[in-house]
Amino acid sequence: MSTPTHMVEMRDVCMQFEEKKVLDGLSLKVAPQERLVILGQSGSGKSTILRLILGTLRPASGSIFFRRHEITRLQRGRLQRVRQHIGMVYQYSALLSSRTVSENVALPLEELTDKSRSEIDKIVDEKLELVGMEDSKDLLPEELSGGMRKRVALARALVLQPELILLDEPSAGLDPVIASVIDELIITLTEKSKVTSITATHEMDSAFRIATRMAMLYQGKIIEEAKPEEFKQSKNPVVAQFLSGSTEGPILEGTLDAITKK
Amino acid sequence: MANARAQPPVLVAQGIGHLTRNFLREVGGVFWFIVNTFQETFERIQKGRVPFRATSFFRHTERAGVDSVPLVGLVSFFLGLTMALLTGYQLQRFGTERLIPGLVAIAFTRELGPLLTGIMLAARIGAAFTAELGTMQVNEEVEAIEAMGIGPLRFLVAPRMLALFFLMPCLSTVSNIAAIFASSLVCKAYFSMAFPYFLDLVKDSLLIRDIITGILKSFMFGLLIAAIACYRGLTVKGGAAGVGTSTTSSVVTAITTVIGFDTLYNIVYTTFYPT
Repeated sequence: MSTPTHMVEMRDVCMQFEEKKVLDGLSLKVAPQERLVILGQSGSGKSTILRLILGTLRPASGSIFFRRHEITRLQRGRLQRVRQHIGMVYQYSALLSSRTVSENVALPLEELTDKSRSEIDKIVDEKLELVGMEDSKDLLPEELSGGMRKRVALARALVLQPELILLDEPSAGLDPVIASVIDELIITLTEKSKVTSITATHEMDSAFRIATRMAMLYQGKIIEEAKPEEFKQSKNPVVAQFLSGSTEGPILEGTLDAITKK
Repeated sequence: MANARAQPPVLVAQGIGHLTRNFLREVGGVFWFIVNTFQETFERIQKGRVPFRATSFFRHTERAGVDSVPLVGLVSFFLGLTMALLTGYQLQRFGTERLIPGLVAIAFTRELGPLLTGIMLAARIGAAFTAELGTMQVNEEVEAIEAMGIGPLRFLVAPRMLALFFLMPCLSTVSNIAAIFASSLVCKAYFSMAFPYFLDLVKDSLLIRDIITGILKSFMFGLLIAAIACYRGLTVKGGAAGVGTSTTSSVVTAITTVIGFDTLYNIVYTTFYPT
């Protein structure tokens, strides 16, 4: 097996949940400092791809590499060390509800580094300032709005200075202005820190703002990969229908009839 | 379709097989859960780092221990009172009421103290652990911890397990003292037994072995209750309803396991020390 040269490489990955096949021989490569956006319908397996890269899910078959580490073969201890180089922002932020904003951001530093309290506080303040949340450091997650939570989650994901950041629906459920703020923040922070990012979303505006490359996931496979401007011009009927949001086309074939009959 | 045609004995056998398989799967699940928690914790210690923060451990000891003292003390006090009163009148008929102090002391130190405390803690703390971890699991907080490269078992489970492991014997002791104290009040009020005499009778009848038996049992009860509660919490599926189902299941399983383990312990113990 050849050694991977990319930041992330997925080779012929299959994944299924009980009877449902989610990924069916998916292959994907992500180059360093790239901002890849994976597009696809709800439930198409976008979040599953992120979880597979992170190693919180194991594929039924295939290999997943992060740098030279084969995630699928790593033992628990090694996997935990590798994960320290990957930041993850969850769709619903997944902040620890019993901890304040600053405690949430400080957690990886406290648990995984030997930094002193004053060093940790300094880094936490810096990261919160980067995402514009320095005034909310003593608040609990329940006291924050959706956009604020996303910003804290972003600060937490970046606190260990990861090489790769995975973003699951970063702007879902946010109003268009806050969604743009989050997108700009992602672009600025990833450029500034030279971080590679993989974003799973179905929000088209957000996707075109963030992406340096886009990939379309459909029926368990990547059916189209291109730069945003080329992606827009894609002749693939699935991509064209997804971009236009039309009900006519291969994506809803059969489904629409079934709904209408009901 | 095969089930529709199956004869009743086959269905019963199928049912028993299904239950046995589920039971063994759960036992195996909890066993490996405990093993993995120990492994993850020791791996961390081997690296020269603390497995979890002291504040986290003390928060759980306070909640599980200090806050449980009134409940454990009160229930044991009333049980000790009732036990002394009811057995006292029976023993009085044969002129042997001086056996009350020993009876209550041995019953509580060897058996009732740890068992009652175990049942109370399974209901009070086990349910809280399951609900708390279950909610974290449903809200993806546990996965987020794992995603950061932090071992959730040593971070979330180990402090809870250790807290209950060390606190169960302390709470059992509280239970024993409360029950013995209550029986001393009954002995004084109803059977005219002075406190010094009562204490002498307790000391005469109670063996160190009885106390050690109860303490050892308590350690194991604490470990089992915490393990079952955390295991149920971290394996929650199905949102808020799943948290509710798991919490109920956690309490039922923990209480059943404590009683089952106690029986097993007594069988083994009496085999080696019949008196």
